[in-house]
Amino acid sequence: MPKIVYIEHDGKEHVVDATVGVSVMQTALDHFVPGILGDCGGACSCGTCHCYVDAAWEQRLPPIAENEEIMLEGTLHTEANSRLSCQIRVTPEIDGLVVRLPRSQVL
Amino acid sequence: MSTAISWDPYRPDLAENPYPTYKRLREESPLYYNEEYDFYALSRYADVEHGLRDKDNMSSGYGDILEFVKAKSRMPDAVFIHQDPPVHSAYRSLMQRIITPKRMLGVEQEIRKLCARSLDPLIGAERFDFITNLGAEMPMRAISLLLGIPEEDQVAIRESVDARMRTEAGKPIDLSKQQDLQTEALGSFEEYIKWREKNPSDDMMTELLQADFKDPNGGTRKLRRDEIVAIVNVVAGAGNETTNRLIGWMGKTLAEHPDQRRQIAENPGKFVAPAIEELLRFEPPGPFMARYVTNDVEYYGQKIPKGAALVLMVASANRDEARFTKGDTFDIHREVRPHMTFGNGIHVCIGAPLARMEGRVAMEELLKRFPEWEVDYANAVLSSTSTVRGWDSLPVWVGSKPKNATVSAPKPVAPEPAAAASGPVPLEGKWNVVVKGPTGPQPAVLVLEKNGDSFTGAQTGDGATSQIIDFKYDGKQISWANQITKPMKLKVEFKGEISGNTITGKAKAGFMGSYPFTAIKA
Repeated sequence: MPKIVYIEHDGKEHVVDATVGVSVMQTALDHFVPGILGDCGGACSCGTCHCYVDAAWEQRLPPIAENEEIMLEGTLHTEANSRLSCQIRVTPEIDGLVVRLPRSQVL
Repeated sequence: MSTAISWDPYRPDLAENPYPTYKRLREESPLYYNEEYDFYALSRYADVEHGLRDKDNMSSGYGDILEFVKAKSRMPDAVFIHQDPPVHSAYRSLMQRIITPKRMLGVEQEIRKLCARSLDPLIGAERFDFITNLGAEMPMRAISLLLGIPEEDQVAIRESVDARMRTEAGKPIDLSKQQDLQTEALGSFEEYIKWREKNPSDDMMTELLQADFKDPNGGTRKLRRDEIVAIVNVVAGAGNETTNRLIGWMGKTLAEHPDQRRQIAENPGKFVAPAIEELLRFEPPGPFMARYVTNDVEYYGQKIPKGAALVLMVASANRDEARFTKGDTFDIHREVRPHMTFGNGIHVCIGAPLARMEGRVAMEELLKRFPEWEVDYANAVLSSTSTVRGWDSLPVWVGSKPKNATVSAPKPVAPEPAAAASGPVPLEGKWNVVVKGPTGPQPAVLVLEKNGDSFTGAQTGDGATSQIIDFKYDGKQISWANQITKPMKLKVEFKGEISGNTITGKAKAGFMGSYPFTAIKA
């Protein structure tokens, strides 16, 4: 099982065993990782699963699609390495992925 | 032996506390079928979540309100809440660029000022009303601000929306005045769009006018005027009523949890945001979302057939113990977990960032000025339809209830009609009837004729006239029925009490449920 590391804004770390095929957002919800809301359940329609991807991983993830780009443009606290975690699927290749969570998912 | 659980969403006595019934549904009948109104309902969190995400088997093409789904109602494409992909996706992605958290952050200080404008005049008062004084004002002003509607036009539009949404049983309505207001508001709205076209600004309306829309039928174009009006109506309609209800629930719920209210007031930076999330979970203003089932699906070994109407019970999902420990307890300290109040899936509430921000601002500004209040339940009015549940009126005493309050508390209703004291007016003649339906007031005209001791009559509404049947009158109670054909064939039974020149009561419209109505002698 690939492992995903979530780091909350206050530095608290959660290492989670993820299931291949599930999104990084849903994995967080399934393991009760605080700091991700995922209001729309993975439809790329709410921007409440925002995360920052560690530099080492940026190039190894699928590129940002147009609908994710639209959402990220309107999202708060974005950085160059911002992603919506519902748009990243768990694969064996992303074992060890580190995502940091923003101060807040809502206004 | 306990009786099988039954749930009638239209039973008014369930409005006050529907949660024990929901709990029983989750435990005893997680897939429930209501024979009388012919709909299915899912009440557990996991099932509601699954249903809302299941766009392959669940359609929003007939809307998300049970009565609309049952009636297979269609709406113009731009009413995107009422569509499936790809039409929904085209409008949604356009709106997603316009309604963003960034834009909401940009107007937060302005919205805070609007809130202060509603609350400051109340400082020093013994009482105020969460709905009249805040809920009915702030969300409408916030939407107007976002749309860029100038202050002078806001009043007409707000009054029109108020008139459409806030008419209540027992409160006389001047029908002609209401129609004038609506015409005036819509007229000035058209004017406003034209004006904004020539005077672009940085508001939502300008963006709607200038945006490139990827038409699902191919090509990129600007939005037509009728599409803009439809979109603005959806946005304004959805954003007003629900946020108004959220503010009412804030007044009620915090009053009942004074310890938590004190904690929030003492440390708003830490507790307001989680308190809003908990409030949204605990008392969702929109308790149900309905879908049209497009393929046979199975839950708990039981089939929901293609063509069925399915109610996804958000208000029940939010209390599911499998998801929220002590789900029936309001606790701002609980771990924040997603609730279903904004829905889920592709139709998730696009205005959620605005709702959360308005809720937070309202709570902060309220507690700054009024750290304590007590609800005057004797004069509060709760209403529940299949779209929203919340307070039509929530008067409170600032601080706590004064000892002599029961005698001095004025009922916050419009003055009685002048004729009330002099006994009922003659029945024969013209009555202006308004039914407070699920989509707003439905006007009709009832004309009664006296033939000896009995009455006959005809009722006209929505362009159609029919003879009334089953007329009864005993000097106080009055009842009659009529057959309507729009939006569908239905027998509507009116039953009310006459006082002066006004009849107030309930109109039962078949499976669509009962709604308050008033009839005023013309």
